[in-house]
Amino acid sequence: MNNIATQRIKREFKEVIKSEELAKCSIKVDLVGDSYTELKGEIAGPPDTPYEGGIFLLEIKVPETYPFNPPKVRFMTKIWHPNISSVTGAICLDILKDQWAAAMTLRTVLLSLQALMAAAEPDDPQDAVVAKQYKEYPEIFAKTASHWTNVYAGGIICS
Amino acid sequence: MSPPHNPDAEYFPVQCLSVDEVEKFLNELVEQLCTSIHVTPSMSKVLLYENKWAVQEVLWKYNEDADKLFVASRMKTLHPVSVKTKRDKFVCPVCVGPVAEELGITSLACGHCYCDNCWRCHFENKIKQGVSTELSCMALNCELLVPEEIVLSTVNKPILRKKYQQFAFREYIKSHPLLRFCPGANCTAVIKSKESLAKKAICTQCETSFCFKCGNDYHAPTDCATIKKWITKCADDSETSNYIAANTKDCPKCNIFIEKNGGCNHMQCLSCKFDFCWMCMGDWKAHGTEYYDCSKYRENPQNGSESARAREALKKYLHYYERWENHSKSLQLEKQTLDKIKERINSKVMTSKGTWIDWQYLLDSAALLAKCRYTLQYTYPYAYYMDNGPKKELFEYQQAKLEAEIENLSWKIERAETTDRGDLENQMDIAEKRRATMLQDFFHI
Ligand SMILES: [Zn+2]
Ligand SMILES: [Zn+2]
Ligand SMILES: [Zn+2]
Ligand SMILES: [Zn+2]
Ligand SMILES: [Zn+2]
Ligand SMILES: [Zn+2]
Repeated sequence: MNNIATQRIKREFKEVIKSEELAKCSIKVDLVGDSYTELKGEIAGPPDTPYEGGIFLLEIKVPETYPFNPPKVRFMTKIWHPNISSVTGAICLDILKDQWAAAMTLRTVLLSLQALMAAAEPDDPQDAVVAKQYKEYPEIFAKTASHWTNVYAGGIICS
Repeated sequence: MSPPHNPDAEYFPVQCLSVDEVEKFLNELVEQLCTSIHVTPSMSKVLLYENKWAVQEVLWKYNEDADKLFVASRMKTLHPVSVKTKRDKFVCPVCVGPVAEELGITSLACGHCYCDNCWRCHFENKIKQGVSTELSCMALNCELLVPEEIVLSTVNKPILRKKYQQFAFREYIKSHPLLRFCPGANCTAVIKSKESLAKKAICTQCETSFCFKCGNDYHAPTDCATIKKWITKCADDSETSNYIAANTKDCPKCNIFIEKNGGCNHMQCLSCKFDFCWMCMGDWKAHGTEYYDCSKYRENPQNGSESARAREALKKYLHYYERWENHSKSLQLEKQTLDKIKERINSKVMTSKGTWIDWQYLLDSAALLAKCRYTLQYTYPYAYYMDNGPKKELFEYQQAKLEAEIENLSWKIERAETTDRGDLENQMDIAEKRRATMLQDFFHI
């Protein structure tokens, strides 16, 4: 891994640890191994959403060219959401693609994902089935999403 | 006396330029702007790229409100952040390390400042992804474009510099409304015109023809947006329409196997001499000379269930698609007909039955037939998207007329030895007039 990437990730890691979001048990980042190329993220389901009370694990892979290219992020916890694949956990979010900027950090990525959970964008769907349900039958959608949260994402952050 | 009229409404004058000639043409525009207002050539390029190379318009906007022009052209931001002047306490937000003594720091017009090493990594990363003219600042949500001179003074790998310049050159051409890359395979020519119109441009280098406005195959009387919709639809629906593709059919009368070997839809069974229409397999005589109604789709006005409507929609689409496909295939087969004509003329010339000049009219008629069929093919997408009503009825009536005359012409050409020359030339005239009628609205003649 090149110098800038390692330097950056080390710094960002500290940034998350010191952040007030961590204190509020809302986001968390852990190392996987000691290479800084792979990390594990955690997001608490935002309040007043079907994801409330759930803990969602993320796989974060840091590319060689970080931070000039975005990290590769995927939900490891199954989630029912229009912009996240219910099968693979792949995420459709602009900042993880062409809207990425080198000055963004892991913290901003996690907070953006949390915001995405609170406000889906069904017109730019990753999972067409979920998006259709979200638009046409919002009540059934909310029920399914909260059922998935209970089944797959049950737990408490800050172990 | 009638005013002199242009005999060909489709005539579209274009210039075929080499890469060097385009470069010269664009550089002249850049210089023209540089000498009129105080900007560097690099900034001038951004201004022109962002404003479709309209020098006069840029000058006018500049005199009106220069700041507004620069912001709109992504060369300035509305609220630039204050530029870092002291570098001792500067921490680059991207590499977050102390900036080495020998390394510079650079801020763009937006004020966003990073170390030169990070800028270089950013530029190289983007160039590798094919980004050139759209290369922007590294800050979040900052759209400011990086001028060429900054990129070239930062990136030093020769391969990447070259790549960047090539990509940028391509983008400049693409952003100029009067320049088009020739879509011909392996052709490097750039076509230049005086107006951006949906007319037929022909590359003098490789003879490829295309619609100047959208770059697709020439498509009159259908407009650019409609032909795009149609091509996308056909690509999506190719599965359902596959079954029509068969090139062989049985004679409806004696059931003998017949292969279509010319473009003509007027089929004659060699075995029982039955004349029939390839499209509907009906008796040719029933189509009449007055009204060849095989081209007209009759919509069923019944309002049934959703599945019935879907079936009806598919039927309607297939009607148009079948004819579109069929004329496209006929056009391919006409090429074989042309080869056969050449062979026939050759054998006549060899046996001293006239010279090539005497038989030239046969080649002309084959060329005209191809032209008519091409236009006919492109009337189907147009008709498909037309609203029902008298306008569509008239269009399809004229379309049927053209189709009938094309079939007549095709029939006569395939049997040219037994057809009188005057008769054939008369038929050519009729077909071309019918074709011109179909193009009337498109060219506003
Ligand atoms: Zn830096
Ligand atoms: Zn900026
Ligand atoms: Zn060409
Ligand atoms: Zn076009
Ligand atoms: Zn027969
Ligand atoms: Zn017919």
